[in-house]
This record gives sequence, structure tokens and C-alpha cells, in this order.
Amino acid sequence: MSGLGAFVARALVAHRLRSGLSALGIAVGVGSVVLLTSIGEGTRRYIFDQFNQFGTNIVSINPGKSETVGMPGILGGTTHKLTIDDALVLQRLEGVTGIVPLAFGTARVEARERGRSVYVYGVTPNAPALWNLRVRQGSFWPAGDPRRGRATAVLGPTLKRELFGAEDALGERIRIGGRRFRVIGVMEPRGSFLGLDIDDTVYIPTATAMDLLNRSELDEIHVAHRPGTDQQRLVERVTVLLTERHRGNEDFTVTSQEAMLDVFGNVMNTITAAVGAIAGISLFVGMIGILTTMWIAVGERTHEIGLLRALGAGRAQVRRIFLLEAATLALAGGAAGLLGGLALAAVLRLAVPGLPIETPLPFAVAALVVSAATGLLAGVLPAQRAAGLDPVEALRAE
Amino acid sequence: MRLGDTVVFTWRALSRHGLRTALSLVGVAIGVSAVILLTALGEGARRFVIDEFASIGSDLLIVVPGKVETTGGMPGVGGTPNDLTLADAEALERRIGSVRRVAPVAVGTETVSHGARSRDVALVGSTATFAEVRRLTVGDGRFLPPGEARRGGAVAVLGRQVADELFPGESPLGEVVRIGAWRFRVIGVLEPTGTQIGVDFDEVVVVPVATAMRMLNRTSLFRILVAVTPGADLERVKERVVEVITTRHDEEDITVLTQDSVVGALTGILAALNLAVAAIAGISLGVAGLGILNVMLVSVAERTGEIGLLKALGAGRRQILAVFLVEATVLSAAGGLVGLAIGYGLAFVVARLVPALPTAPPLWAVTAALSLAISVGALFGLLPARRAARMEPVDALRKGS
Repeated sequence: MSGLGAFVARALVAHRLRSGLSALGIAVGVGSVVLLTSIGEGTRRYIFDQFNQFGTNIVSINPGKSETVGMPGILGGTTHKLTIDDALVLQRLEGVTGIVPLAFGTARVEARERGRSVYVYGVTPNAPALWNLRVRQGSFWPAGDPRRGRATAVLGPTLKRELFGAEDALGERIRIGGRRFRVIGVMEPRGSFLGLDIDDTVYIPTATAMDLLNRSELDEIHVAHRPGTDQQRLVERVTVLLTERHRGNEDFTVTSQEAMLDVFGNVMNTITAAVGAIAGISLFVGMIGILTTMWIAVGERTHEIGLLRALGAGRAQVRRIFLLEAATLALAGGAAGLLGGLALAAVLRLAVPGLPIETPLPFAVAALVVSAATGLLAGVLPAQRAAGLDPVEALRAE
Repeated sequence: MRLGDTVVFTWRALSRHGLRTALSLVGVAIGVSAVILLTALGEGARRFVIDEFASIGSDLLIVVPGKVETTGGMPGVGGTPNDLTLADAEALERRIGSVRRVAPVAVGTETVSHGARSRDVALVGSTATFAEVRRLTVGDGRFLPPGEARRGGAVAVLGRQVADELFPGESPLGEVVRIGAWRFRVIGVLEPTGTQIGVDFDEVVVVPVATAMRMLNRTSLFRILVAVTPGADLERVKERVVEVITTRHDEEDITVLTQDSVVGALTGILAALNLAVAAIAGISLGVAGLGILNVMLVSVAERTGEIGLLKALGAGRRQILAVFLVEATVLSAAGGLVGLAIGYGLAFVVARLVPALPTAPPLWAVTAALSLAISVGALFGLLPARRAARMEPVDALRKGS
């Protein structure tokens, strides 16, 4: 069978330019599919990481039902309030390691002559531990009854820099929404979350925030649980407990991070698949190119085929020769395309540092398998034509 | 060679190898039709968004409580130290000349029930002006009565779907419904409007704003909608709105959105997406060009004798070059036209299947795809054509025989 390989290789090399061009068609197709799906996959992982940096073991509860308006909480306002008491009850559930009752809004923060409008988060002192955030300087206020407020604030590093520059902020007095607070801590920089600068913010106690921001209910409750806890079960238990407290009304939405990431991952996969498919059109056109080239080759080598048949080669053998030729062309193109796509991805990563690109190994393998299959498919028709030639007629052709 | 001869020569050459010609044509056709279909879908999405917003009117300002300087921040999330109040809304109407109508809006979710039937709805609290500002029409009965915004009242206007579900087969007018723990008299039913930027007005219940704020236990409005007199400078009015509220609150703690800025941002994103998709699909045109290049190379090699003969008969290099360039270009142009027909056909089918999406291949995409197809043919035809033109007549004659 090594004769077959040599035969195919010679045929391909004899028409170097033509073979090269057909393979190039496949290479362009495979390269663009690899590059685009790599960007899609990279984006998916990037966003997963963004969410997971705040800890994976969190279930969140928002007021309002999602059924009618699509997004929980965005419309605000329900008749049964989501309260700090609700949050405290949840703490007693099995497997729950901590809760953060959240109230947030926007307000102007002022220190001396400087001011800035930022997000204000009303939290409990266990929030940094739950969200994997670290305090750089000072500390949060001591844990206690979250229903009680106090006029202390922890600044995000961006806000601290905007207000105080390089100076020490600890112990300084600031005004938030016109009220006086004392700075007792500054956070470690964390960067941004999906484009939002999470360092440009201020944390104050939940009850104080509700009062300051005129909220009569919480915006969200975060429930952290022990790793390994069944999130689906936890979501159910939270739902039952809160529905009971709200007199039989399920007027809140419980979202587990797993479920949210699942939905999100599905959406991203669909987008990646769609973009990959659009790029795949090139692969299809490349396949037609190979089909054309092979078709021409069969026509040109009619005499040679006749000779092979006269020397005792069967139809199946002739068919195999042309199928192998087509597959080799496509596989070579696919390999070149894969390398080209990876090289382009590397260049892009250098040129646009923020762009997440990731080519998982299965993608690369799939690219090669698909290109070989493409070649086989393209070879079917020409191979059939070659195998169907009458040996005598073929020999007579010059 | 005259033009007529060139055409005949090309035609013979192409039709002699029917399948080969058809295959290289198909490559271009696939590329062109993909670009046309995909951009038609993208354009449909863009028009859909624009229509959605146009249905609310471009003369609208939306006042949202809260203001952030944080990068990437969105206003209107969570609370603020100063409430956006009904008094603020009244001040805007009173103090700014070119304001035509002001509609304060409070929103929440509630359960509405009649007898044994109940369902969750979006509860919208507003005033009589809301129908006009949001261009809603009342099918049966009437909308909220005009008058003191702060007085409230226990009357409700139902969205069409809510009315149909709570009162199947009967008129809800004059009937009493329960919303949460409160009782309301139904005074009107909205004409079906469907979804306007994410809010399905067939599934809302509209009640007086003061009542809604009491029910939802809110002190701040969700939004104030400001309809501007036609022809007034939107930017100026926007500045005045910020001024008036800033004076009242002693600080700038609101964000004013215009329909234009929102539509602009959205359609900008969609246009960029559309262009990217078109470019990705356009890659296949390049691959199709490679196919044409291959076929033309073979064609030149096969017709070496013919070329020699032409040259011996006095045809110049330019003429030979022209013959093969024309052949390649005809191939790709024909493919382009076939692709155009297929693309339009598919877009038409999609438009029929999904009437909500106004698919239409944009002119730029059609022009770009066609001219790209033709230039791909000409460009990739250049190499084989030059190879043919450079042949020595004697050699070519000998080789070809």
C-alpha cells in the first residue's frame, strides 16, 4: 500500500501550484473557523472567570418575579418587601455559611472640596470574605445586628484616589448624599467586572444605606453556602422559606450562580457555533474547489487510469487513489489553516491584550478531522468518475 | 479580435467544460448569497430596533434618578439620597417652555385577580398624559382621567391580554379587580400594541401614579417621561431639565436619556455586528477566487495550442490577456448574479416566515458583494491570463498539438 501513497504524492506534486491553491482554499476556511471559535471560547471563559472571581458558592435573591418582566429586580417595587429579617432567617438554613443583605444605589461622595457620583453598596462586614475581596487598609465595621446602622464607610481604591489622592484616608470624614461618615477602611484594587469599575465605589452598612437611599426593601440577598452543597436543593429551600414568610406569595426570584452560568454558557455556545458556521461557508467553498480540481485531474489522467486498470488494478483501488488524493489535499490545507489560525490568534493577543482568545485542544483536533472529512466528501464524485471509466476506452484516450 | 469574437471564444471555452465552469461559479454564488442573506438578517434586526423606538417617538426625554461617574456604570439602578418626586415632574412641566407633556412613572410587579382568576403583571403608575406620551390607544372605555397627579384613585386600565385572561368572553368595563390587597374599578382596556422596547403593554395594568406609589411603598418615581414640543432643540431642553432638577435637589443626581442616544448606541452596535458577519461570510469569496484561479490555470494549460494559433494569426499579448481576463471575470460575475438571486430568494423566504423581522438586503452589502465577486474574478484571473499572454507562439503551437 506504500505504492498508493507514493503514487498520490507524485500526482499532487506534479501539479504543485494547483494542489497548493486547492489546499489554500481549505486552509483559509479552517483558519477562519479556528480563529473565530477561539475568540468565542475565549470570551466565554473570560466571562465565567469574571463571575467566578466573586466565589462560586452564591445564590442570590432579588425582589419581584421574573416571569412577567423578564429581569428580576429591574422594575423594583413589590408589595411584600424583601427585608433584612428575611435575610437573617435564611442564615439558619443548613449548609449556608453566610448572608449579605444588599441595598445599593447612586450617591455623591464628598471629601473636603472633592466629590464624585458613584455606586453606594449597603453590605454586612462578611461581604469581602464572601466575594473574595480584600481590605488593604483598616477594616470593615465589627459584625453585629445588620438592622442597626452606623456612619462608617469603606472606600474602593479608585474612589479613595479620586477623593484623597496619595494621602491617607483612614479616619477622615466624608459626606455621602449629604450625610457624614468616617472612613475606616480602603479596599484592595480588584479591577473591573464586565466593564464596570468595581473599585470606584463605597461600602456602608446595609441599614444605613437603606435609610440614605430611601429604600424600604433590600435590592438583593446573597446567600453563600458550603462547597459541595446541592445548589438546586438550596434554591428550593430558600424559595419555600421565603414564600412562607411572604404569606404564600412567591414575589422574589432566586438565582443560583450555576444556573445563571449554565444559561449564559448556552447562549455563548450558540453564538460561537453561529459565527463558526458562517466562517464554515468558506470551508464549504474550499471543498467545492477541491472537487473541481480533482474532477479536472481525473479528466487529465484518463490514460493513466486506463493503464492502471490494464495492469490489474480494480475499480475499488482506483477509487481509493482519488479519495486519498482529495483527503490529503484537504488535510494538508486544514493543518496549514490550523497553524495559520493559531498564529493569527497569537498576533491578535499581542496586538489587543484585552482580547480573550483560547483554542482548546478538542477544537484543533476537530478542525483537522473536519478538513479530512471535507476532502473525502469532495473526492467522492471525481473518484466515482475515475472508477467508472471503461479500461479500454480510457487507454485509448491520449 | 473584435469584442464579438472575444465573447464567442469565452462562451465556447466555458461551455465546453460545463461541470467545471458550474463548480467554480457555485463557489462565488455561495459567497455572494451568504453575504446578502446574512446582511439582510442584520439589517432586519436594525430596522426592528429602530421601529421599536420610533413607536415611542423621538421627541422624548427620559429622566432617571441617579447619576454615576464610575466607568461602565448604568444610571437608574438602586436608590438615591434624593427622591425623584411628583413635585419634580410638575416643576418640569411648569418651568420649561418647550415641554409639551410630562408623564411621571412608577413601576412594580403585582398580582391582579378577578374572582378565581389571577395573574402577575407589571403595574404601571402614571397620569392621563402617559397614553399620549407612549402612544397608547384605548380600545374600550377610557384612559386615566386627567387631574391632580397626587390625588390618585382606585381606577385601572388593563392591557389587552390581562383583560382577556381575567374576563374571558366578557367586558371588564365597570368591573372590580383586586391588585395586591387593593380593589380597583376597570375603566378601560388598551388596544393591543405588543412589546415596546422590552415592555409588553398587553400585559400591564395602569393605575394612577399616586396610588401606585402608595401600593408599592415607594417615595421615588421610577422615571419621568418628558415629551418635547415638536421642533424644539432636544439638547437645550435636556440641559434645562438637569438645571431645574439640580436646583430642586441641591445636587445633580439625575441622568437624562434621549431616545436618539439610546437608538444611536444600539444601532451602532448592530451595524458593527452586521459588518463583521458580512466580512466573515466574505472570506468565502476569497476562497471562491482561489477556485477560479485554479480552473483558469488549467484552462490556459489546456488551450496552449489554441493560444499559439491565435498568436500566429497576429493576436497581441494584450488581446490574449483580455480574452482570459474576460473569461475569469465572466465566471465570477455570473456566479455573483446567481448568488444575488439566491440571496434575495432566501431573504424573501425568511421575511415571509418571520414577518416581525423586516429583512432587506442593504444596498451597501449587495454592491460590496457583487463588486468583490467581480474583482475577485479579475484579480485571480490575472495570473493565468498573463501566463497565457507571455507564451511564445511557436512553443505554444508545438506544445499544444
